[in-house]
Amino acid sequence: MSTRTINNVQNFSWKRFMLQWEWMLIALIIIIFIVNSSISPYFLNFTSISDATMTFLDKAFIVFPMVMIMIMREIDISVGSTVALASVVMATTFNAGLPMELAIVVCLLVGALCGFFNGFLLVKYRELSAVIVTLSTMILYRGIAYMILEDQSSGGFPSWFSYFGWGYIGPIPFILLLFVILAIGFALLLHKTVFGRQVYAIGSNTTASRFSGVKVDRIKLIVFTLAGVMAAITAIFLTARMGSTRPNVANMYELDVIAMVALGGISTAGGKGKMLGAILAVFVIGYLQYGLGLINIPAQMLLIVIGVLLIASVTVTNLRVKGKFKTSSKSDSKEKVS
Amino acid sequence: MSDYVLELKAITKEFPGVKALDNVHFNLKAGEIHALMGENGAGKSTFIKVITGVHLPNKGDVYLNGEKVVFHNPKEATKVGIAAIYQHVTNYPDLSVTENIFMGHEKIKKSTRKIQWKEMHADAKALLESLGSDLNPKTEMGSLSVAKQQIVEIAKALSANAKIIIMDEPTAALTHRESEELYKITERLRDEGVAIIFISHRFEDMYRLADRVTVLRDSQYIGTWDVDGISNDKLVVAMVGREIKQLFPEKQVLIDEELLRVEKLGQAGMFKDISFTLHKGEILGITGLVGAGRSELCQALFGIEPYDEGAVYFEGEKVTIKTPADAVNLGIGYLPEDRQTQSLILQWSISQNITLSSLDKISHKGWLNNQEERKMSKTLAEQVGVKTNSIFNLASSLSGGNQQKVAVAKLLTKDLKVLIFDEPTKGVDIGARSSIYQIMIDLASEGYGIIMISSEMPEVIGLSDRIAVMCEGRITRFLDKDQATQEAILEAAMSKQTSKSQVV
Repeated sequence: MSTRTINNVQNFSWKRFMLQWEWMLIALIIIIFIVNSSISPYFLNFTSISDATMTFLDKAFIVFPMVMIMIMREIDISVGSTVALASVVMATTFNAGLPMELAIVVCLLVGALCGFFNGFLLVKYRELSAVIVTLSTMILYRGIAYMILEDQSSGGFPSWFSYFGWGYIGPIPFILLLFVILAIGFALLLHKTVFGRQVYAIGSNTTASRFSGVKVDRIKLIVFTLAGVMAAITAIFLTARMGSTRPNVANMYELDVIAMVALGGISTAGGKGKMLGAILAVFVIGYLQYGLGLINIPAQMLLIVIGVLLIASVTVTNLRVKGKFKTSSKSDSKEKVS
Repeated sequence: MSDYVLELKAITKEFPGVKALDNVHFNLKAGEIHALMGENGAGKSTFIKVITGVHLPNKGDVYLNGEKVVFHNPKEATKVGIAAIYQHVTNYPDLSVTENIFMGHEKIKKSTRKIQWKEMHADAKALLESLGSDLNPKTEMGSLSVAKQQIVEIAKALSANAKIIIMDEPTAALTHRESEELYKITERLRDEGVAIIFISHRFEDMYRLADRVTVLRDSQYIGTWDVDGISNDKLVVAMVGREIKQLFPEKQVLIDEELLRVEKLGQAGMFKDISFTLHKGEILGITGLVGAGRSELCQALFGIEPYDEGAVYFEGEKVTIKTPADAVNLGIGYLPEDRQTQSLILQWSISQNITLSSLDKISHKGWLNNQEERKMSKTLAEQVGVKTNSIFNLASSLSGGNQQKVAVAKLLTKDLKVLIFDEPTKGVDIGARSSIYQIMIDLASEGYGIIMISSEMPEVIGLSDRIAVMCEGRITRFLDKDQATQEAILEAAMSKQTSKSQVV
């Protein structure tokens, strides 16, 4: 119909390449390393740095699905409670006589179920907001955990189980290895597959996605279930590291996770942000925490630093979204028979 | 003192990429009803927004009672007595009639800063009575019919001492009888010296009410006439212009075998008893007034809101359509009415928009193939003639017409057989409009069956092989191409308008 040719080759642009939030996060990590190692000689100590990494990485598994959830313009604040419930059920079933291997499977199933239930409620009742739904299940899951253990602790796991908490493969902590593998997997899933493209589509314009044949409900269910599974993985590592569990474990984990995702440049307006940003943000917050702890700066100070960082990242990422939005103002949008 | 209460001289308003008003003149006398007419996208809305202070014109002056004024915001316009009543009534449905009337200028006792409810209710009642309405001012706004809400809006304008009232398509959602009531109120206001700008697509509104008529077309001022001094034909030419004949390409398509048959389809409260067939190469126009159930019908066919009775046959076989994915798998595609919220992701590139509905075609086992994506979107963007230099440009950077072409390209990525176009040229300028028509004709000749929902009479008449006219959820008449006239369509569209029951 038209012979006009349209360019379909995108030239590499240094400007576009450099103007990415991820560089900011990399710079932050470098600054944290330089400042901390100049203040404290212990910072770059291999053993202590890998111990610290193990400590902050457990909750980081939830960051992956949370990135997808927030790109879909949803949120899940029940993940901390899911960790607690999965952990408590695992410990209880083990102490009731189930082999540890099966107890771990049960733990993963409980996580998947919790996540699926969140997704189901959101898909079934579209008018409900994710904040309210997952706030309710946050209270619910934690409540069930308390009902099972009644403020007791439960432990006595076989010795091999602690490998999840403290194990090394060669010089690399097992948890770090798994984190890197999952990070690559989730990054590929989000950025290179049809599924990932549709996740972005849902967050950018749910109606248009639905009209374009994207199975919005199915994708939401899958992602929320993934969040539950990742929370269960967190539960396994956390429980293994501590050696026992209580119903109040993983308290406020959801906020840490959401903070990491937001700092990673994932816009709360949906549709924007990259997996890499959130992964970098995990290390920014983790090493900041570790470094400030080493030089005896009180925990309150850390909260202030993270708060300021978050405000900075949220303003910057949302400004970016705003700048790209343009709505045409010329429309005579009346509907009638002329 | 000037003869005119309001005068606009050589108004030009530009938006990035579009000239929405180009050298437009307008004047208004006290105690006159002045009709403003023009097609969709002619610039009427922008023009109204200049008068009400929403938009500041780039060029040109506004004179109020002979004095030059500049409105920087709607409040300044309200202050000097300009009020607008819109088709989509903009009010507070959960508040009372009184609260709606006095919103923004509540009566407050100076000494105590308290709202004077008693006085406001009394004033509201008096105002409504002066308009011949016996509404209780304490009623909740949302519980009223559109017609009654409009009366409240008029009362609101009067309570703010409006001397100039703009009515934007007030009759579009009203029944015959309700329109008649509105005419009477409008005439009463005119006799009291209020100047009224009346925008409508209905010729009958204009003949019944207006003293003079001003026509806009393609953002340009065409002329102002006394209503008594201009014939219907002349007015149509003024509104539509000479392009009308060339606008619709000649369609010479053999209508082939049956593609889609719909039998006694119904959806509670929306439409009922809908039966029609669609053939290969055919364009079936569906038209009717607002709320006639056209969009609902087509969204049901596309599986967005499933139908609850009747049957759909696709290529002779009975099928069930429950989700858009079902429809697409069968071969039915839908071009939504509102491309900005229902079709496109504006902050995405043209390329990503085109491929969204058929990602399986540019992927292998779930992995996206960028090469394939670029190839496919380039081919399709060129096929529909999107005016852009790169497929990586954002959809938001395109004009309405070109956005619509991208939306059409999205449909062509799949192996579809039936295409449903819902208001395909809404808010699209005349140039892009004719190329969208050309695309539709070309698609029909490739063997697609096309259902076109449209409110634009010329478009329905110019493109359709057959026209189904809907009224209150039912098809009231089928018209063949050679029977199709504006009058016949209007008659069928309003055939039940006098009855009181209305499909919501």
